[in-house]
Amino acid sequence: MAVYKRRYAAYTGSLTPEWSRFFVLTRYAFAELFKSRFFVILLILSLVPVLLFAFYIFIANNQTVQLLLPTGPAGLFAVDVRYFTIIMIVQTQAAFLLNCWVGPVLIAGDLTNGAMPLFLSRPFSRADYVLGKLTVLGLLLSGVTWVPILLLFGLQSGLARNGWIWTHLWMVVPILFCSAIWILMLSLLSLAVSAWVRLRIVATGVIFITFFIPTGLGEMFNAIMGTYWGRLLNFTDMFRLILAQGFGELTATGLMGPIRNEIPVPAAWGVLISVCLLSLVILNARLRAREAVSG
Amino acid sequence: MMNPTIELNELEVQLGGRTILHGLTGTLKSRAIGLLGPNGAGKSTLINTLLGFHSPGKGSARVLGLDSHTNGKALRSLVGYMPENDAFISKMSGVRFVRYMAEISGLPPAQAMERAHEAFVYVGLGEARYRPVGTYSLGMKQLAKLAQAIAHGPKLLILDEPTNGMDPPARKRLIELIREIREASDICLLLSSHLLRDVEETCDEVLILRNGQIASICNLVEERRANRKFLELETTGAAPTFTTTLEGLGCECAVFANGRIKVVMPDRVEIREVFKVAASEGVQIRRMNHRRDSLEDIFLNAMEQTGVADGRI
Repeated sequence: MAVYKRRYAAYTGSLTPEWSRFFVLTRYAFAELFKSRFFVILLILSLVPVLLFAFYIFIANNQTVQLLLPTGPAGLFAVDVRYFTIIMIVQTQAAFLLNCWVGPVLIAGDLTNGAMPLFLSRPFSRADYVLGKLTVLGLLLSGVTWVPILLLFGLQSGLARNGWIWTHLWMVVPILFCSAIWILMLSLLSLAVSAWVRLRIVATGVIFITFFIPTGLGEMFNAIMGTYWGRLLNFTDMFRLILAQGFGELTATGLMGPIRNEIPVPAAWGVLISVCLLSLVILNARLRAREAVSG
Repeated sequence: MMNPTIELNELEVQLGGRTILHGLTGTLKSRAIGLLGPNGAGKSTLINTLLGFHSPGKGSARVLGLDSHTNGKALRSLVGYMPENDAFISKMSGVRFVRYMAEISGLPPAQAMERAHEAFVYVGLGEARYRPVGTYSLGMKQLAKLAQAIAHGPKLLILDEPTNGMDPPARKRLIELIREIREASDICLLLSSHLLRDVEETCDEVLILRNGQIASICNLVEERRANRKFLELETTGAAPTFTTTLEGLGCECAVFANGRIKVVMPDRVEIREVFKVAASEGVQIRRMNHRRDSLEDIFLNAMEQTGVADGRI
């Protein structure tokens, strides 16, 4: 199909492996995202706390700087399990905000003008499509959660020496697991919303509502029934419970208030996994309905 | 031996508990197949089933030898699909949109970019390729859809109402393009349209659907060839010897009232020989018609045979 000949000719070249094609969606989505100045600013802002945390770690491990500060005794700067729990809480909230901006446009843009049949009339399944979009959020939210947190962990290990890394290595597991469940839940939830709501501002609102309305309903339920099981509808609280258990901090006071541990941790896992599954069912139903042209 | 383009075997498809396609059976061997039928006949359902979007309740559909249900992915790797409705990503430039689709079909990025440019120039949108698809006119969007359907070099091009909403010059250009694509390669074509003329100008075979059933499968090439040798005569003074002499030449004749005679001529007999026989027999030929069964006649016939006399489409 050479341009100068203006004649049609079939393609006879090589093809990319089928398993890798979902990543085309990811690449194009990232290219579109980075065209937005607001997104870039939001991404930078969500990484600013990491710089502050890194600075804190630097001071905590530098006796000279500590002596120069008018803050008093050196023991004030402690980098321990609790410190990493706080980092996790801050960064997962940053991930939530980033997700609220990015998630709503990922599928809505394809659905608005009926592009879905074009994707799915190729050797490309609904699962590939969802995987491609999920990878966008997965990579992005990883970039503000476990990746920088592990870098901070590495920084602390490097600066503290004295075998700090070996006594705290177990923290890598909760950092990875807790980040993974939070990223998965946020991603699936926002993709499900994106498949239903076309306008970004409305979709962002719906994501917020999905978090806050059930929390309110749960608290109402608790107040009326005199129980604490309504907290199961507070997804953020359930995540903090999992986080606290992961870091062995169930009795500690977190950055966002005391961690109440009346709810068993497996129930908290159950809630987050249920949100993931429900989002997946909603997403599948919506995409299935839009894959074929009716007429 | 080459596989038929489409093979339907007792294909039954149900949607929402309602049977849309009722036991379709037929084989379509031509390279360019037209799909006709009134609204609600099941054309889009058939296309969606061939693409593997709907699962057959009973029976099967094979496209280029591949089962649409069990070999869906392999089949879709051979297909280029131009849907009837709007289907694009409005914020993307035309060429980026086509490149994106080509990459999803498996072309490496560099080749996809090259093919996207070529496809855009080929369909005549070369100048508009860097504009967002959302700003295109209706006709341009149709061409962009065609470009994305051909960029990855499919073996079967499925066009669902390709000329919808196009003005006559744009429609003519698109039909020419479709014919050009067909002739320039070994690509197969499945064209669904409400416009009989579109199908007549591009297809060799038609499948006519009505109420989810096959009303007719007609090979237009054979039909056209047969029509060239079919004469309707209005004569005065025709004696039985006239038809006997024609039959002696190998023609088949049927005599009706008021001197009307229908003649089917073998390939070797030319029309002037009919005139010669008439002159020698002293028969006046007052009127002579080639039978010209257009696709419209075929379509209306199919509709009448299945009980729709007004031929609404």
